[in-house]
Amino acid sequence: MTNTESTASTYHSRRYRIEHYINRFLLYLGVALFLFVVLLPFYWITISSFTPRYQMFSIPPRWFPTEITFENYGKLVENIPFYRYYLNSLIFAFFSAVVSVLFAFLAAYALARTYIKGSNIIFMIFIISIAIPQIGTLVPLFELYKTVGLINSRIGMVLLMSSLIIPFTVWTLVSFIQQIPKEMEEAARIDGANLIQVLWRVVVPVVKPALATMIIVNFIISWNELLYPLVFATSSETKTLSVGLVELAVDPAMGAGRPWDLMSALSVSMIIPVLLLVLLFQRLIVSGLTKGAIK
Amino acid sequence: MSAYRKPLISKKVWSRYLAAFVLLFPALGLRLFTSVYPFFKTFYFAMTNYNPAFPPMEFTGFENFLRMRHDLAVSSSVSFTIVFVLVSTLLQLFFGVLVALLLNAKFRGRGIVRAINLIPWAIPMVVAAMGFRWLFDSEYGLITDLTYRLTGLTIPWLTTSLGAKAAVIIANVWKSTPFLALVFLAALQGVPTELYEAAKVDGASKMQTFFKITLPLILSQVVTIGLFMIVWQLAAFDLIYTMTGGGPGFSTSVLSYNIYQAAFGGLNFGYASAISLVLFVLVFIMGGLGLILFRKVEVEY
Repeated sequence: MTNTESTASTYHSRRYRIEHYINRFLLYLGVALFLFVVLLPFYWITISSFTPRYQMFSIPPRWFPTEITFENYGKLVENIPFYRYYLNSLIFAFFSAVVSVLFAFLAAYALARTYIKGSNIIFMIFIISIAIPQIGTLVPLFELYKTVGLINSRIGMVLLMSSLIIPFTVWTLVSFIQQIPKEMEEAARIDGANLIQVLWRVVVPVVKPALATMIIVNFIISWNELLYPLVFATSSETKTLSVGLVELAVDPAMGAGRPWDLMSALSVSMIIPVLLLVLLFQRLIVSGLTKGAIK
Repeated sequence: MSAYRKPLISKKVWSRYLAAFVLLFPALGLRLFTSVYPFFKTFYFAMTNYNPAFPPMEFTGFENFLRMRHDLAVSSSVSFTIVFVLVSTLLQLFFGVLVALLLNAKFRGRGIVRAINLIPWAIPMVVAAMGFRWLFDSEYGLITDLTYRLTGLTIPWLTTSLGAKAAVIIANVWKSTPFLALVFLAALQGVPTELYEAAKVDGASKMQTFFKITLPLILSQVVTIGLFMIVWQLAAFDLIYTMTGGGPGFSTSVLSYNIYQAAFGGLNFGYASAISLVLFVLVFIMGGLGLILFRKVEVEY
């Protein structure tokens, strides 16, 4: 606002400005409230992981720690096969992300481009199959996996996880592929390229950002998965961090469901990779998550 | 589709179908084996007393369903599953739109706040559930302390039926609202700014602008996401398993938790399959009702 305006301010412009300031105040109040609500659990988990155990159980709880320690992390590594679980989680999440995106990309290309009769119906089948609850399929899957010897197998778990996230990935990738012009593919076909050559040399370079996006999103989703590893990983050879976390909660030897020192340290260890991905690839992740729903 | 007339892959029909089949096979095959086959197999198992620890498996007809009628854990789970899903979804939609409007407004540090909005979506549900279990702890919990400081009342969050139900729903809304906000924000950004300017010129109030312009334009997304959330959350497992274990008593038990306990706690595969069928029916009914609503909205807007 300029000086001339403030000297010659009418009733209306002053009212307008007061209203403006009230609106700004309410907006920042809303933002502050939002940040408080979103960050509170996150803050509490992080702070707890650096709080010595004897200070954790105090009434009223300490909102701000008076002593910082790393001993919870040391105890965590001693009490569970932490590095093993970490490696297992990384392998499980990475391969689930890659396999799901590869399979979903091929399917999405077929649905977006080959123009067969019934491609709409196949697309709808993918979408509707999201509605089949994962938990309701576990018993037959367990029996199937026992028969073919895939219990406690990395490959078996990766296939299940990939399958779970394929429908959403197909949905998103179809939207991405439909947006790219098909002239380049047609030109390559006329030059005599076969399907694989067209996919690899023409389509993949164009949709690379979309594929990278979905690999990141699917990595995060797989990293966070509990149910499949909980049921199908039966030894520490294949168990993931999320299984390690719920085991801490139910193991009475760890302090009857309250080993919060270990659980918060493990939680922070689990959050770090996904947090890095979110901060580094925020834009890509947002586009990947909203592409299917927003046309 | 008019696109049939301009085939891209090949002029020969059979070769187009072959290409499509090859491309679709890995994804469709995987879905068939891990989702469709187990889905139908569940109907068969539900009619048996299948227990891998006590063979042989026998066909028992509807015995599992008769047993379910007297199983308090299942009947209370059915009602809480419905309450949990409906209340959660409505709150998530409400706060999702609210947060999206907030993140769409212009303010300093908006980019960082939008990034922070992604955090609850990105962190594992087990971590969130564990965190909230500790936040709601009746003695040492931060939220218990906060509600005591604000109201002077010590709310027994996780030790009473009503408190635990509320706590579980709050945790669930906290975890998923940011995802909905994200989708609604993307939808809001697609609303042409001319519409807002025109409304301003016409002297419309903020409320009028929201209900007459913004909401109708994003309503299709709101209903779509609402439908997906209902279907997804009917099968929510991680939160309940980690945060309350269905307790106290059966008060926060949901069907997915029953199924897991019956199957992998008690190895009652047959009984677990019967409970799975109840869940399928619930998904079918609530998903179907949601779909009807979705169609109605699609037609009207």
